[in-house]
Amino acid sequence: MHEVGSIDTTSFNIAGLDITFNHHTLIMTWIVIFVILIAFFLLKRKINKIPGRGQALLELIIDSFDGLVKESIGENHRKYLPFILTIFIFVLISNWIGIVPIIEEPTKDLNTPMGLGILVLFVTVYSGIRYNGFFGFIKEFFEPVWFLFPINIVGEIGKFLSLIFRLFGNIFGGSVIIWVAFTMFLKSWWTSWILLFLGPAVYGFFGLFIGAIQAFVFAILSMTYISITKN
Amino acid sequence: MGNLGQIITFLSAGIAMGVGAIGAGIGEGHTGGKAVQVSARQPGVQDKIMKSMLIGQAIIESSSIYALIVAILLIFSSPEQTTSIVKPAAILSAGICMGFGALGTGLGKGYTASKGVEGIGRSPHNEPIIFRTMLIGQAVAESTSIYALVISLLLIYTI
Repeated sequence: MHEVGSIDTTSFNIAGLDITFNHHTLIMTWIVIFVILIAFFLLKRKINKIPGRGQALLELIIDSFDGLVKESIGENHRKYLPFILTIFIFVLISNWIGIVPIIEEPTKDLNTPMGLGILVLFVTVYSGIRYNGFFGFIKEFFEPVWFLFPINIVGEIGKFLSLIFRLFGNIFGGSVIIWVAFTMFLKSWWTSWILLFLGPAVYGFFGLFIGAIQAFVFAILSMTYISITKN
Repeated sequence: MGNLGQIITFLSAGIAMGVGAIGAGIGEGHTGGKAVQVSARQPGVQDKIMKSMLIGQAIIESSSIYALIVAILLIFSSPEQTTSIVKPAAILSAGICMGFGALGTGLGKGYTASKGVEGIGRSPHNEPIIFRTMLIGQAVAESTSIYALVISLLLIYTI
């Protein structure tokens, strides 16, 4: 029973170094990548002046995000649009793929949100230095008075920590709740029929609804953090 | 003394979920009430109000979902039989930390969501801007309960 939330790992010992792979998460991440590749390849196969169904869906996604990024980031927003959109689609498909049996969400493992969060941190620092200069970027930490420097640093790290743990906490919580519901009701034959109604509801709420909202919030917050340091 | 670990674990789970549900309950009720009031005044934009209300409430609920995670982890973790008082104290502290950490953010996010719904009722054509500002405000308000979640997971697993 104490195995709630544990992750399968494989350990190698190469030249005295212990290297640990979360092979389950890695396989699921590659599955997500191939699902996205195949889906978008099929959707963009026929590009016409008069859009078909797949092209209309793609144009809808790209156009709505183009408006969001333009309002928030301002000049050069087309350079940031692919990054934000990629993060959104990757997190969305990662959260949604958990509703398929056997396959688990890659975002359930803390390392996947952590990697995405560190990526966003690098882009934030890079665009801050690129558009304000190195000293302009450093000067932000000494506002309004110089001795608030440590507090500003802690606040900046806390922003990204909350970005990472929000995604992890929601997806992990959803999967723990689904696991508890299924183990509780599958104990005997006369309670398991409840799962006929409860199972789709639980998967629909925690898998599809919360997953979509958290993917959107992750993308929007990354965009906002980038726009704060850039402008 | 042998059962102390188990007693403290269940007590802690109760505190975490019970206190953690207060804030989210009040916040969601406040948002729902504001949505009813606004859609009584402006029935034409009821679909926009409904959308913001539902998504705002889903984000309010995530702080009580954190409390639920901590409570479930506490219930299903098997406490070792220790004579030391440190581990039970850490377990109790994790429950208190998550419960009270979820209380304040539930209230705060509920306030934000109710103001967002009210604003959409007042100027429905500015709905995208209000909705986005509401999401960002709620997400920043949520970060304190995420700190509580991190600390209580550390207390459960590392000490």
